[in-house]
Formats: sequence, C-alpha cells, structure tokens
Amino acid sequence: MTLLRRVPRRIIQLACFIGAIILVWPLLPWSITPRFFQQISPFVALSSSIAKRSIDVGAVLALIVAIVASFKKRWFCLYLCPTGFLLENTSHIGLRKNRWWSKVPPVGRYVAVLTIVGSIAGYPVLMWMDPLCIFSSPFAMNKATNPYSVILVSLGLGTLVGATFLFGMLWCVRICPLSGFQDMLYLSRKVLWTKLTAKSTGNARSQKSGAELVQISGASSATASATRSQSAKQPASGSPRNSARRLFFASAAGAALALVARRVGATRYKKANTLLRPPGAVPEDRFAGLCIRCNNCVHACPSKIIHPDTGREAGLAGFAAPVVKFDRDYHYCLETCNACTQVCPTGALTALDMPAKKKYVLGEAIVDTNICLLALGKKECEACALACPYDAIKIKWDEDQYIAYPGVALNKCTGCGACQVVCPTGEEKAIRVWTLKPSST
Amino acid sequence: MRRSAAAGGLFAAGSLVPVSALANQASGEETTQAGRSPAKVAGGKVVQPQRELPVLHKTSVLVVGGGCAGTAAAFSAKRLGVDVTLVERYGYLGGLATGGLVLGIFPLYSRENKQVIWGFAEEMMKKLDVLKYGIIDRHKAPIYPTFDAEVMKYVLADMTLSSGVTAFLDCWGVDAIVDGRGGVRGAVFESKSGRQAILADIVVDCSGDGDIYAAAGAAFEKVKHNIGLISRIGNINEVDMAPTRGSEGLQRQHEHTFVGKVGTGRPSMGRVSDFNGHAGNATPAPHVNWLNMAGPVGDALDVANLTELELKHRLGTWSNVSKLQNKPGNEQVYLTETAPQLGVRLSRLLDGMKKLTYDEIQNGAKFKDVVACSGAYALSPEFQIPYGTLVPSKVENLLAAGRCISAEFKVADITRLIPVCWATGQAAGIAAALCIQDQCKPRNVNVAKLQNLLKQQGAYLG
Repeated sequence: MTLLRRVPRRIIQLACFIGAIILVWPLLPWSITPRFFQQISPFVALSSSIAKRSIDVGAVLALIVAIVASFKKRWFCLYLCPTGFLLENTSHIGLRKNRWWSKVPPVGRYVAVLTIVGSIAGYPVLMWMDPLCIFSSPFAMNKATNPYSVILVSLGLGTLVGATFLFGMLWCVRICPLSGFQDMLYLSRKVLWTKLTAKSTGNARSQKSGAELVQISGASSATASATRSQSAKQPASGSPRNSARRLFFASAAGAALALVARRVGATRYKKANTLLRPPGAVPEDRFAGLCIRCNNCVHACPSKIIHPDTGREAGLAGFAAPVVKFDRDYHYCLETCNACTQVCPTGALTALDMPAKKKYVLGEAIVDTNICLLALGKKECEACALACPYDAIKIKWDEDQYIAYPGVALNKCTGCGACQVVCPTGEEKAIRVWTLKPSST
Repeated sequence: MRRSAAAGGLFAAGSLVPVSALANQASGEETTQAGRSPAKVAGGKVVQPQRELPVLHKTSVLVVGGGCAGTAAAFSAKRLGVDVTLVERYGYLGGLATGGLVLGIFPLYSRENKQVIWGFAEEMMKKLDVLKYGIIDRHKAPIYPTFDAEVMKYVLADMTLSSGVTAFLDCWGVDAIVDGRGGVRGAVFESKSGRQAILADIVVDCSGDGDIYAAAGAAFEKVKHNIGLISRIGNINEVDMAPTRGSEGLQRQHEHTFVGKVGTGRPSMGRVSDFNGHAGNATPAPHVNWLNMAGPVGDALDVANLTELELKHRLGTWSNVSKLQNKPGNEQVYLTETAPQLGVRLSRLLDGMKKLTYDEIQNGAKFKDVVACSGAYALSPEFQIPYGTLVPSKVENLLAAGRCISAEFKVADITRLIPVCWATGQAAGIAAALCIQDQCKPRNVNVAKLQNLLKQQGAYLG
C-alpha cells in the first residue's frame, strides 16, 4: 500500500524535475519560459507583486499552486519542487538520516512573513531564498565568463545540496520560505474553514482545530516519509502565543530591514561610478530586494556581459545580483536584443519591448582624453565612433587645443558599451560606460 | 616635357620600357609647342579656346595616382606582361603612406590576430624588413607595423625603376578622355610640360579623390571627413621609446610615450583636461615619433578649404610641439617635418556595380567575386571586398581602387586605410591586365581567373 502510494509520487517528482530543467535550460524555443518557472512559486509571485504594485500574467500559475497547497499540505514540496526532489535524494545518501531538525522552529514561515512585510515597503528582503530561484541559478553557468561567476551562480544550490548531505532535510522542512509559505496557506485556510464551520456546527469543533493549528505551526514535513512519520509526534515549537510573537517580530524585522536596505541602496548608488545594472532595472534602492538571483538574465544574455556581482559593485546587499560589465572584446549590450528584460520573474528588470529597449539608458559613455589615442595623436583611431550603434559618438575637433577626441551625444548614448569594448587602449579604456548620474543627464 | 623626356631616358637605361612608349614621348614634344592657346577674357568670362592636346603617351593600362592603391595596381598589372603607365601628382610615390606620413599599417589583422592582408602588402613589408630602420612591430598583432616614410619612398622608387612600369611624376591627372560612347580612353594631365593626354585601353583611378571617374561622368557620392596634417618629431626621450619593442599588448604600446594620467577615476564629460601636447607614437627611426592629427571636418575638393587647413595645421602642430617641449624630459624635442600632403580621409565614393554596406561587413558577408580582404576594425570583423566595388556602374574601361571605391561611408572609413588600399589596388591592377589580355570590359572580367591570379601573387581573399 505504502509502496503503491510512493511510486507515483516519485514519478511525478521526476517528471517535474525534468520539466523544470526543460523550462530553465531553456530547451523550449520560447525565450520567456524561464520567467514562468520562478513565477510558479506563490511566495515569489506574491512578494514581487506587492513590491512592484503590479501583477504579472505568471501569477495565475502561482495562484493555482497556492490554492492546491492550501488544501493539500506542502503539496508543492511533495510533488513539484525540483529542489525538493534533488535534496530529498541527496538526503537518502547523506550522512544524517535521523530527524534531529524536528526541534528546530519553522524558520521558513518567519522568512516568508518577513519578506512579504518587506515587500509592502517595496523591498522583499529574503525573496532570494525561494527554492526555484536557487534551482535555476546554476543553469546560467554556460554564460559565466570568469571563475567568480561560476562560483556565484552555483553557490545557492551547491550550499543546499552540501548542507543536506551533511545535516539532512533541515532546509526543506524548516528553513525554505516556500514550504513555510505553503504551511501558512494551509493553516489560514484551515482556520478560515474552522470559523466557517464553527458558525454552523457550534464551538465544539473549533477547540479541535485550535489544537491542530498548534500542531501545524510546529511540526512540518517536506517529504511524504517525513510527514507520515512525523504526524504522530509532538510539535517542536511552543504555544500558539509563542508563534504569534515570532510572527510579529518577523514582520517588524521585515519592515525595518526593507527600509534600511532601501536607504543603503540609494546612498550607495549616489556614490557609485562603475555600477551598471541590466536594462530595465528598477531603481537601485529596490533592485537588490526585488532581484531573486535566479540568474535568468545572466543566462539569457547572448553577449555574456551580465555577471552576478561579487559584492564589489553594490556591497553585501547586492551580493550575487546581476551587474553589467563590458570586460570582453566586442561584447556589448546589443541594440537588437532585449532578452534579459523578458526573463525576469520578479520585475526587478522591467520587461521592455524592442522600441523601449532601444531607448533604455543603461549608463553613460565618457571619454578620458588623458588616454585617448586620438586625443594624444598616437593613432588613426575612431573605433568608438565607428562602433556606436546609436550614432552618438562624433569625432570633435578642438580648435583651441588643436586636438580631436570622441564627443558623446548624451541624448543619443544608451550606455550599450560598444565603444568601450572596441577601445584599443588596453586594460584601462579611454572611453567607458559609467553609472548614470541624474545631474549629468 | 624636358623632364619626362629625361625620365624616359632613365627607363631606357633599364631597357624595360617599350620602344613605342619612347617614340610617343618624342612626338609629344613637337605637338606641345604647336598646341599653345591661352585662355582668353571674352565678355567678362574667361574662356579656354578649343585646342588639340598633345598625346604624351599611349599605353594599355593607365594608373592615375601613385599612392598605395596606384603602386599596387601598376606593379601587379605589369607582372602579367601588359604595358602599364603610372602617373603621380607629387615627386615621389606612396601617396599618403609617404607624403601623408600615415606610417601605420592598419588594419592588417583579424580579431584572432591573424594577418588577413597579404599579396602586395606583404611584399612591401618584406622589402621594408630588410632595410635598416625600415619597419617595426612586424608580426606582433594586435600591435600593427609602423614603417618609415623615406624608406618606403626608396622601396617604391627602386620598384618603379626595375619593374618596367612607365612612370610620370609631378604630373596631375585633371580630366578623363572619353570616346563617343562614354567609354574612357585615357586621361589628361597637367605638368611642367603643359596639358597633355595619355591614351589607354583601361584606366585605373587611384587618385584617392576619384578625380578621373568624376570627370568621366561616373556616379559618385560626395562626402566629408576630418582633414589633418601628420608630423614627425625628433629627439624624443629614449626612455619613452624603449618599451614598444618586445612589449606585449597595446597597453604597453600606449604607455611608452604617455602624456596624461591613467585611471584617475571618472573623467568629467566633454572636457579636455590639462592637455600637454602630443608625444605621438614610435617610428622605426630612433628618437623619432609620428604625431597623428584628426583635424576638422573639411571639403577635400575645395581648394580654399585645403589652403586654410594647410596653413592652420602648421601653426597648430607648432603649438602642440611647443607644449610638449615644456614638459620635463621633452625639452630637446623638435619638429622634424610636417607631411607634404594633407591627410585627406574621404572625399568621393564611387557608385559602383556593388556598394559595400556596413551591415554586410558587420555580418561577415561572403562574396563570390571577392578580390580583397580587410582587417578587423572596431566592431567589424575582417571582411571581404567584392570586385563590384571597383567597377563604376555606368562608365566603361574604368576601374577604381583605394579610398574612393564604392562603399558606404562607414565601410569606406576602413577601406581607406593603407593596407586595404594595397589590396584593392592589386585587385584593380590585375583586373585591368585581364581586360587587356582577354579583350573585355572591366565588368565582364572573368572573376575566377582574377581570383586565381591574385592568389598566385600571394593575396589572401578571406
């Protein structure tokens, strides 16, 4: 009997795992499929919709998942989640097979609350902990052009697999915000259900459901085996009151963190010179929060100019969020491409159609006449002017100094970097794209 | 006339000039004296009376312009055994490469640092290789070679004397000679010998400005580009000079005569800060650098504009060298020379059978009638140049080569450069020789045969 029930689940899980790979690879020729992959997560869909104050089409999928999950406990984890499937199988060969984590409080729930409250303040603080983002991130590895990027895109899933191997299913059962969010959905539905039925059948049942609420809020399980073996056990966490207090602190922390992070982001941007975000990026104060580090944009970029940030450009808050770097010859932000903006599941990069993308200003190109070969009379060079796809660079003749140098028309320059990647001065470029400053536009 | 007769004698000493050519020169002397007819003022207008022009010379292939394209065309055609005449406006050959002091052989390489222009270009560089202070930075891609103008002049003079090409220097092509059906039959020249004609079966316009095709009535596009004046400075600090040789990468090449400060953070927009004068770039001659100048955008077909620039550029060069002399370590620097020729970049672009577009070169278009290849520059990878860009769409018996070929402005901005002019010149020269051998019009040239001959002469076609 158990075997019969278990086998189909394994098959569904495997099918979903393969399906997930097909979606994020992406093996389908549809360039925006990866975006829907992360949007399936109701946690991401809700947080990002609140933070962006807008709802994307993909939210419909998340709504379906949410409704099913509110009736069938941790349904998503058990059947659909590819990260869950991977970690569950890892735990089978792992070192810790006992359920020591059953005493750990349900952190995932507080993470979910903290993030959702943060998203009301415009900054979904820990949205990047969503397991679907963590799953899709390493698929951007084929666009990694340096060892740092390889490490950064695989860091999340690598850490989870490693931790699960060493410590068992702690992440899935206790920390994952998506599982915590599902628990809360289930819980809320139950409470609501109880209240509705209590009105009709009297108070007797509400007592019972209260007890169940305690049980749910404490004991949780990612896997079927865990659920079944756990169901009889006592909950790990304390009373409903204890739980409510924690929820309150999580909410307060979410709001506070969101406000601090936005302030830090805004101040950082004012000082930034080399920080460039991919096209369509929301303002810097919210970007690091809305970005879930799924690396879809890194993956989508045909020029391989989008890299996860090592923290050098935007600090700890922006760690592993995408930055644009024009560090490879001939690779710039193509005037014929808007791929990265089409695959962002949270709207950290606003989807831009081609006309909008062509007008999008990513940064500003500035010439350093101290090292420009033309200005110094070293070479017959007008590489930047020739390369500019927007016709923004003209060789200017300075009659007083009797020298020429490239002049950038800022109303035409989009910061695509074509000039920078063809500038022949070596490591230090005579023309490069700098962070856009409001004063200079 | 006396001068060209003397030149004829010199070629005769080399015993490579056809007897018929000498006979024509001799007969030219008589007709010159007879054809005097000064312009007259009549009714407030200056009128040149109709007159018969003396025929200085008859030839099979006439190459107008002895710059990079012209010399490549003339010597390559001559090798196929046809009668070739080369006419040059200045007293030396090489055009902008020598008289314009454009000493860099760029763009020579593909993005992968593979040399993609061979044939005549490689031949020239090999000749420079063996001459003292002839050329530096050979085979050091992406750094491109730099040669010495005087050594180049020597090489070209030597080649002219030994090749059997009939040459007329100090001789300015001013008009085309066309027959009743619009086919070009030769060109008219002004020189100290007066206005004379050279009759030819095929004319190759390597004038740079497309003077001959414009005169013959071919369609063209008139464009404007920066016009500068290059100069050379001597006595530049030896410490500055050292790193070019044997150094790796452009960064080093860039540093060795560096004036400004590198990496001082975000520069301010549109301001030239503390400009200290050019130090230019190394040349093969020790302690000598060449200084490029972009100059303002000018009309290369307007003599007033050219005159203004010739004068102002010399003042500007002087002022920049003075600034350099004020920099510690550069006090002993002096201006060696300003180029005899203005650095005209583009003036006329032919409307050929094929106009090479920027999209095509960006997308690496392949052409069945490819006759030349250009190196990579900016976002453009190395690209093929089809034969159609050298053939005017309307006029017969005429080919163009060098900077004035049929291409969009942004493409011409690359094809105007020294090694590409060598490549298109060589293609046009061989095509002209084929027209003579196969008795056909330039547009009907057997392209497969042309490509084979180009390859036999060492050219790379991509």
